[in-house]
Amino acid sequence: MNKTSSKKQSLLSRLMNPKYIMVYATVAIFLIIYLFGAINYGDKGFLSLRTLIISMFTENAYYGISAVGMTMVLITGGIDLSVGAVSALTGMIIAYGVAIMNLPPMLCLLFALVIGVGLGLLMGAGIHYLNVPPFIMTLTGMFLTRGICSLMSRESIEINNELIDALAGFKIYIKWWNEDGEWAKIKPICYINFNFILFIVMIIIGTILLQRTRFGRNVYAIGGNEQSAKLMGLPVARTKILVYGFNGFCSVLAGFAYVLYVKSGWNLALQGGELEVITCAVIGGTLMTGGVGYMVGTLFGVLLKSAIPALITFNGNLLSWWGKIATGALLLLFIFIQRVVVVYSNRKKQE
Amino acid sequence: MPENIILEMKEIEIKFPGVKALDKVDFTLRKGEVHSLLGENGAGKSTLIKCLTGVNRKDGGKILLNGQEINPTSPQQAVDLGISTVFQEINLCPNLTVAENIFIGRQPMKRGGIDWKTINKRANELMERFHLDIDVTRPLSFYSTAVQQMVSIARAVDIQAKILILDEPTSSLDDNEVRLLFEVMRQLKAEGMGIIFITHFLDQVYEISDRMTILRNGHLIGSYEIGQLNKVQLVTEMIGKDIDVIFNLKRADVKEDAAYMLEAEHIGVPGKVKDISVTLKEGELLGFAGLLGSGRTETAEMLFGAEKTAQGKIRKKGSDISLKTPHEAIMNRIAFCPEDRKTDGIIGDLSIRENIMLAVQARRGFMHPMSRAEQDKLADYYIKALGIATPDAEKKIGELSGGNQQKVILARWMATEPDVLILDEPTRGIDVGAKAEIQRLMLERCRDGVSVIFISSELDEIIRCSNRIVVMRDRQKVAEVDGATCTQQDILNIIAEGSAAENGKEASV
Repeated sequence: MNKTSSKKQSLLSRLMNPKYIMVYATVAIFLIIYLFGAINYGDKGFLSLRTLIISMFTENAYYGISAVGMTMVLITGGIDLSVGAVSALTGMIIAYGVAIMNLPPMLCLLFALVIGVGLGLLMGAGIHYLNVPPFIMTLTGMFLTRGICSLMSRESIEINNELIDALAGFKIYIKWWNEDGEWAKIKPICYINFNFILFIVMIIIGTILLQRTRFGRNVYAIGGNEQSAKLMGLPVARTKILVYGFNGFCSVLAGFAYVLYVKSGWNLALQGGELEVITCAVIGGTLMTGGVGYMVGTLFGVLLKSAIPALITFNGNLLSWWGKIATGALLLLFIFIQRVVVVYSNRKKQE
Repeated sequence: MPENIILEMKEIEIKFPGVKALDKVDFTLRKGEVHSLLGENGAGKSTLIKCLTGVNRKDGGKILLNGQEINPTSPQQAVDLGISTVFQEINLCPNLTVAENIFIGRQPMKRGGIDWKTINKRANELMERFHLDIDVTRPLSFYSTAVQQMVSIARAVDIQAKILILDEPTSSLDDNEVRLLFEVMRQLKAEGMGIIFITHFLDQVYEISDRMTILRNGHLIGSYEIGQLNKVQLVTEMIGKDIDVIFNLKRADVKEDAAYMLEAEHIGVPGKVKDISVTLKEGELLGFAGLLGSGRTETAEMLFGAEKTAQGKIRKKGSDISLKTPHEAIMNRIAFCPEDRKTDGIIGDLSIRENIMLAVQARRGFMHPMSRAEQDKLADYYIKALGIATPDAEKKIGELSGGNQQKVILARWMATEPDVLILDEPTRGIDVGAKAEIQRLMLERCRDGVSVIFISSELDEIIRCSNRIVVMRDRQKVAEVDGATCTQQDILNIIAEGSAAENGKEASV
């Protein structure tokens, strides 16, 4: 169908490339759910920007930040179960450092970054050189990190610090011309906060890494076929280890975002958070078997995952556990779509 | 012309547990030549290549590239040194685009990022040079194996290598594509690249090569200019002296009134094997010939219940049987030695005794364990009967040579006293002597009344042993010929003409 004359492809045919199919599925399902909410609960404000941005982005930013790193890990065909624990450890380090040792919070964050990235690199090295399955290796990392959290304190430590308060309270209000023709805050009040910005920045960094650097392309190659990647002369070991290191980096930033959200450190914070993060990436179209995934997909995955609790809140009559059930159903749907895509493309090739 | 020599491999030695894969092999490659590396399966061609490309470590010898000693320890190093390889299996990433598969690892950069435009443009140019009209921005998995193979060659060519190694590049290509490939090879040759070419197709050797080197069982037989040897001499050199042993084998006689042991009617699996019917008489050896991927293995797996049949009926000794799982097959006294003994057959860390008793134990069920004395008796009997070279039954099977491992697997299934024994490529990768031995054992079983299905890529051994031969092509049975009267050429013609006939049919429809 592609004649030599169509070497310069139209935008449309470039967008129709089958490699984007999973992202399109995510966006489509998000739009359907959003439209459903808008039609049913439009009068209660589901349509307003405020709901969209505050509920869906701001309150889930820490999952999103972590999902950036997780997406990359999943693309290599791996998994990382330690992210929730590493985020919690970040909270503990900052809380302990600031509240008990009176250290500046940024120094604590730096220290947490060193620990988080170091642990990630170590797990990556174990996975590659010792050939330990990622599941087991990062499970070990999770228990280790949780243990250290509890060693530091078994109670929640409150953080009272100017810088933390300032960052947590940082808001950019969204303005528009009101009825009087004045440039003013829109109503209902709508703003974006620091976590939101951090999330978007991480998505952009993730996209650049994946799409514009050799490192990112090697990540895809490893997920596609690790043996081939090796035979093509790609730096498989370095790439895999760095991916887990980067994921550690993201988990620490996610932990920092969570600290800004709750202003305390708690050893049991974000338990099971790693599964939420994996869910965001998977319903964002990242293939659990590796090789396929986009940061934009993950962005919509986070939106989609947080749209469901928002819907249930608006309904008002449903128990919040329905959110879990709906999320489960969504995951199932996505795994189903992924299988269909794989089977379909195999059949197509055989013809 | 010693100044023309680009690569020199001297007295290369490689040892695998239990076998010497290469024994003092010399190899030289000149600038601007196509040099064929020839030998039977298991002769050591791939091992030599893997040594050169840093996949396998050598145990002795020297490699000189442009007169300087090199010791590549990884494919990456080999690539950096200018040695680029296209392996038989496609080593690309199916999830990446065609263009990216060609350029990954050395993408052109622009303003700190990957320059996708240039990548796609240059990929398009390369594909044009290969006369392939495909969209390079689609994932590789979108295209057929042949296209994928061409892409992997394009990748190797673009590396600007000094040495290009093509390991069976033509096995998945059709005539047109082979011609294209040869065109490209000639072009590269003219540019001064040294090309090592490995293939099973002797015609192609004579068409494209300047020189050839022959290996047999890990030994160097010799290097020749292409005019020095004709095809018959070449084949004789490849197979070697052990040829006598083979000629002494006699195929089993099937009694006129022999009953049908197994009858399969119209069995098939969509996408794998199309509607096939085969019959097998008592004491008969039925050969399966055909190219790799022609559906031979899948048919065997259907008869063993490892591949679920979607249609048709299977009868054993006249009564219908169900073969949905290997367990049902074992209960019906059908045994199957799979194609790849390394992955599907042996359990390397278990002893010979344990490997032999596995299938018998499975048949008896875990509620009736075999006593140690029974196991020892069984193992000792088969070690003696099959001539397995080992000090005792407790040696780990992983430490045996390929031929002996194969005998252990044969023993495993023979111990179940099967009525039907299916052997998928039992002689692959073992030396000629062991091959003859395996064939002898197979024929002995037939004389005991066991029906054997024998699958092999090597036509000569199929013809030598089989009473009847089923020829498979494109996932279906295209012919059934008599083993006693047909020749290799007949079968080759059937495989080749089958395609011609079918094309004709399609055209007339």
